[in-house]
Amino acid sequence: MTLTAEDDRLDQTFAALANSTRRAILARLAQGEANVNELAEPFDLTLPAISKHLKVLEHAGLIVRGQRAQCRPCSLDATRLGEVSSWAEQYRPIWEARFDRMDNYIKQLQPRRKTGKQNG
Amino acid sequence: MADSSDLTNAVVIERTFDAPVETIWQMWTDPTHFAGWYGPPGASIPDEKMEVRVGGTRLVCMVVETPNGPMRMWFTGEYREVVTNQRLVYTDSMSDEHGNVLSPSEMGMPDTHPTTTEVIVELDEIDGHTRMVMTHVGIPAGSPGAMGWTMAFDKLGIYLETHRA
Repeated sequence: MTLTAEDDRLDQTFAALANSTRRAILARLAQGEANVNELAEPFDLTLPAISKHLKVLEHAGLIVRGQRAQCRPCSLDATRLGEVSSWAEQYRPIWEARFDRMDNYIKQLQPRRKTGKQNG
Repeated sequence: MADSSDLTNAVVIERTFDAPVETIWQMWTDPTHFAGWYGPPGASIPDEKMEVRVGGTRLVCMVVETPNGPMRMWFTGEYREVVTNQRLVYTDSMSDEHGNVLSPSEMGMPDTHPTTTEVIVELDEIDGHTRMVMTHVGIPAGSPGAMGWTMAFDKLGIYLETHRA
């Protein structure tokens, strides 16, 4: 329950997400469960290499794997993803900075009011 | 289609500006003023077409300096709601210079980024100040990757709602 434990878990999640192959695997699993062979299909990677990626994702709690020995289908576990910000959160600082600039820009305009329609 | 009520995948920012509502409206709808604040430092907006009416299109060019020289990026979209001094809704997508939409992955963006997003601006004047609520929300796109993420986030939204209560 401590912040540190939560932080550690987030670190693990982000480390797992910091790889385009693993993100692509997650995107595929968002459409439904799949086995290793199916997941390997779009990539120019060996099955052991894909298995390694799956282990990282499983360890990070991003996917769960079935127990049937041969195919062990993988599926997405949305729980851990929920702790990671969506794309939208990346945009918050961008918008905050924009609105800071809007504020400054308005202040620059105000002393010479009504000149705003000039060409820029 | 766009579901602006799904705020699990949205940025909502509220600000109060020391300016009348007409000024803030101009900041969003007058191309010259828009260019004055929208781009990041070091970027310029040399070209912008903004047909601010329902169904009107927008095409904004942004030039960002990179170590390899200036890089041009284009953003396009459509105005969906235009209520002067009150409410503005428009869509935003990365595009080429002709306004043909490009997928985020084509532009080197992470595949968590939706192809089309929607910006909703709501304005309210209080004693000469303007209260602005800006909502930036991802909307389901056609590409399978983006759709997959959207569905994942939809599930996530339901999950978060049921577990926060």
